[in-house]
Amino acid sequence: MAGRRITTAGLLTRRQQTHNSINGARHETSHHDAGRRCLIFFHDRYGGECPSRLSDSSIDYVIPFDPGGESDVTARFQEPILEDILDVSVNVVHRPGGGGAVAWSEFQNSAEPDGYEIIGVNIPHIIGQPIQRSDAGFDTDDWEIITFFHSTPNALIVPADSPFETLDDLVEYARDNPETVTLGGSGTYSANHLDMLRLEQEADVELTYIPFTGTGPLPGALEGGHVTGVFNYTMLGVQMDDSVRVLAVASEERVPALPDVPTFQEEGYDIVGGAYRGVAAPAGTPDEIVEVLADAFAEANERITDEQEPLGFVMEYISGDEIDDVIDMLAEAYGPILEEAE
Amino acid sequence: MILKLNTDIAAGCFGLLFCALLWFPQSDLGRLSIIFPRAILVITTLIAIALLIKGLFFSPEERQVEITGSPRRLLVVMAGFFIWWLLIDILGFAVTSFIAIYLLCWYLARVQGPVSTGQLLRWLPIISVIVGSFYLTFRHLLNVRLPAGLLF
Amino acid sequence: MEMLLQALASLMTFESVITVLVGVSAGLLIGSMPGLTATMALAVLLPFTFSMEALQGLIALGAVYMGSIYGGAFTAILINTPGTPSSIATTFDGYPMARQGKAFEALTAATLASVVGGLVGVAFLLILAPPLARLAVAFGPAEMFWVAMLGLTLVASLSSGSLLKGMLGGCIGMLLSTIGVSPVGGETRFTFGFPPLQGGIELIVALIGLFVIPELLTMAAEGKGALPREGDFGKREASIRQVARTVFGKPVNLVRSCLIGQIIAIIPGAGGNVTSLVAYNEARRFSKDPESFGKGNVEGIVASESSNNVMVAGSMIPLLTLGIPGAPPDAIILGVLLLHGLRPGLDLFTETGVLTNGFILSMGLAALMLLPVGLLGARLIHRIVIRTPYYFMVPCIAMVTILGTFSLRNSLLDVAIMLTLGCAGYFLRLIGIYAAPIVLGLILGGIAEQGYVQTMLAAVTDPFPWLRLLSNTLSKVLAAMVLLGVATALVPIWLQRSGRLDKASPDKRGEP
Repeated sequence: MAGRRITTAGLLTRRQQTHNSINGARHETSHHDAGRRCLIFFHDRYGGECPSRLSDSSIDYVIPFDPGGESDVTARFQEPILEDILDVSVNVVHRPGGGGAVAWSEFQNSAEPDGYEIIGVNIPHIIGQPIQRSDAGFDTDDWEIITFFHSTPNALIVPADSPFETLDDLVEYARDNPETVTLGGSGTYSANHLDMLRLEQEADVELTYIPFTGTGPLPGALEGGHVTGVFNYTMLGVQMDDSVRVLAVASEERVPALPDVPTFQEEGYDIVGGAYRGVAAPAGTPDEIVEVLADAFAEANERITDEQEPLGFVMEYISGDEIDDVIDMLAEAYGPILEEAE
Repeated sequence: MILKLNTDIAAGCFGLLFCALLWFPQSDLGRLSIIFPRAILVITTLIAIALLIKGLFFSPEERQVEITGSPRRLLVVMAGFFIWWLLIDILGFAVTSFIAIYLLCWYLARVQGPVSTGQLLRWLPIISVIVGSFYLTFRHLLNVRLPAGLLF
Repeated sequence: MEMLLQALASLMTFESVITVLVGVSAGLLIGSMPGLTATMALAVLLPFTFSMEALQGLIALGAVYMGSIYGGAFTAILINTPGTPSSIATTFDGYPMARQGKAFEALTAATLASVVGGLVGVAFLLILAPPLARLAVAFGPAEMFWVAMLGLTLVASLSSGSLLKGMLGGCIGMLLSTIGVSPVGGETRFTFGFPPLQGGIELIVALIGLFVIPELLTMAAEGKGALPREGDFGKREASIRQVARTVFGKPVNLVRSCLIGQIIAIIPGAGGNVTSLVAYNEARRFSKDPESFGKGNVEGIVASESSNNVMVAGSMIPLLTLGIPGAPPDAIILGVLLLHGLRPGLDLFTETGVLTNGFILSMGLAALMLLPVGLLGARLIHRIVIRTPYYFMVPCIAMVTILGTFSLRNSLLDVAIMLTLGCAGYFLRLIGIYAAPIVLGLILGGIAEQGYVQTMLAAVTDPFPWLRLLSNTLSKVLAAMVLLGVATALVPIWLQRSGRLDKASPDKRGEP
């Protein structure tokens, strides 16, 4: 009983509480109303006329991670531009916990589909966690993903003084010495971990993956020689330019910030993957609103490209049907590995 | 109020109960996830048992604990906090906090003598200002999505 | 050197000084509220820095950081509640002093110690950044495991009364830390099928619950405030000079605490949460009169507050040179650096040296600013706390704790956890299990687990995996320190115990 009480308490948001406590029927209609009003609002924004009664609403942009991380920094870039485009204030709200799962399960359970509540979503987290945990509390597709605005391809990075000059050196050594090559990365069954597992399969070697909490401790692990290398994102390779060597990146084409680094495909391993960051609205949000938001994020993306690309991000403009394609592609690539791990 | 209680035995029992609570849900976890919690569980259990043994056989003193003040007030305030939390969900933060602070003030002030109507009236604006300023600061300056119930 | 002067010049503008002043004051206010941490203060400030120039923005962040770490001492001393985790150790002697009517003395000592700590941290950052950064990366998984173990030896000195109960508290804290997603392995543990528990028990939530709620309940039950109405207000002017003499009269304690603060600050992941505890423990170990600690000894406050303010600038060393955030608030500063296109590394000290040095010096300015702002603020807050009737204090503090806990992660569940832990904490305190060891276990549990499991993973091909825990000099040194720490903590207790037993046995025989 106590448990149930806490569930509703933790999961309900402001608006839904109001509706629930009045009555269930009102709840249904108000969904609709809110949706329509918001629709008018966004369209008028683009048409140039603003209904005054909604001008005090604001968009809550939930970041399911701690402040200071890549998701947060990007959201801070986007915030003023979104405000400018949509003419509505945007609040970045943090709700960290469980590698994102806490915020995602709350969002899917209780957010209002009116376009005023959106949440940052990351692949592969939203694919991996529901498969791997029995009580993740959310589903991979129980929302309307608005867009994926950028990705950070995986990269295999070793210290500059490492004996491994190329990917082949490392693979050959690993073949002769199974499990002795230790690769650090961010999190378990994360993009890093999953693509490292793919490398093991593709190259038929045995490596040892050591998960760290986030990207933060990895530079130290590299500099201090506590791991053979790290399987992390391109950003780290760019950031630690002077002291590391990036052996390969897991993108289809070479990454602009690292022009000399070959892709895994060039080296003969079919590994394309990394983390995709995007935003989602609750399931049932009208398509028109999702489109307006997707356009706004695309516009924001263009305006922040100059700041983000040098950091190692790859800008993406994935929206509409392409979203399903991307999710399907990655779910197919990672699914078997995850199932096997179960 | 002074309770007759052997604190060693009480602490030992608490430790054992706590371990039992966490012992059962650990069955289907992988080795990497459980290796550390299991080690600590074992250590905790050993410490708890040591405390029990010490309490039963070796510590003739320490047989009492003292709750200073009124135990009834303690329990009422404790319950008050939880009711406060429950109501935040229904009435919203601002309204609940106003009511809760007002009632708790009245309840706690009675210790020092009867509370006059004048005093109660004087609290009204003070508490409104306190709750209001915190509400506005957090809601609008710090952008915290405070739970809003029927009114705010 | 030229860069330093240039940086100093860019700092000496009216605008910069005002920014520092406002930043320190705001940080102080936020830091003194239980639940509002330095991390949160910086996150709130972040959007405002966008409209500023890079240097101005960094100055503001540095000042807020400095102010909020210091602000934690206020509530630690006045209501036994560490405003930020880094001031836990300040409560041990600060609160007893406040109860003896020496609150102002305690606050002044904390202020002076903080100023010294802040300045020392800045000096280290300016002079010794590169060698200290090399030391920072030497701490790998095995070393982190030993650091956590070293921290756990503090349990012995934190458990007033029974060592067994202190150890039980520490273990309970470590078990609480395992709730949620496991750091290595990624599975959810002990969530009892309840998704929101995947987030685990946040340190601050437990901290507020275990420290504040029992205090409020005690005040309510006793029907009176905890502090005496009359402080030594009349003698205030003389008091500052006297306090200064006490603080600076024992320079060894100050120097030792600053050094400890600096070394721990550069260990990534340990952060400021343990610095003050370690410094406190050492101050007590080396004191001629260890018995007086925990009963209102100024030295305890000095150790705790000087070490945690060293951490502010000290943890910037791995951040600025390597991009490793040493403490959670540093992650936000890293974000700001990246936003402005500044990449951590040696370039930061050469190409953009004026900016970087300006930022570093501004933290020194912020530390100096703590003196007037802090002394004024201390007087004000002290007066408010003493003059407010207890029946107002209890519900108002309760509201602030509920607000602070909620806004940490926008979670009502956290509030429930806080209240539950708080009420449990009250009864646990009655039976001799205190909050400090539990919180210590909670802080160190995660560090110990990650270090241990990562080491075991890396050693998967070794014949004796656990030998990897002692594979290099640093880990051996740390392990030896753990042994030494355990020995110096246990031997006196054991001697005392055997002495007491001798005395106790004839009494027992005489009893019936």
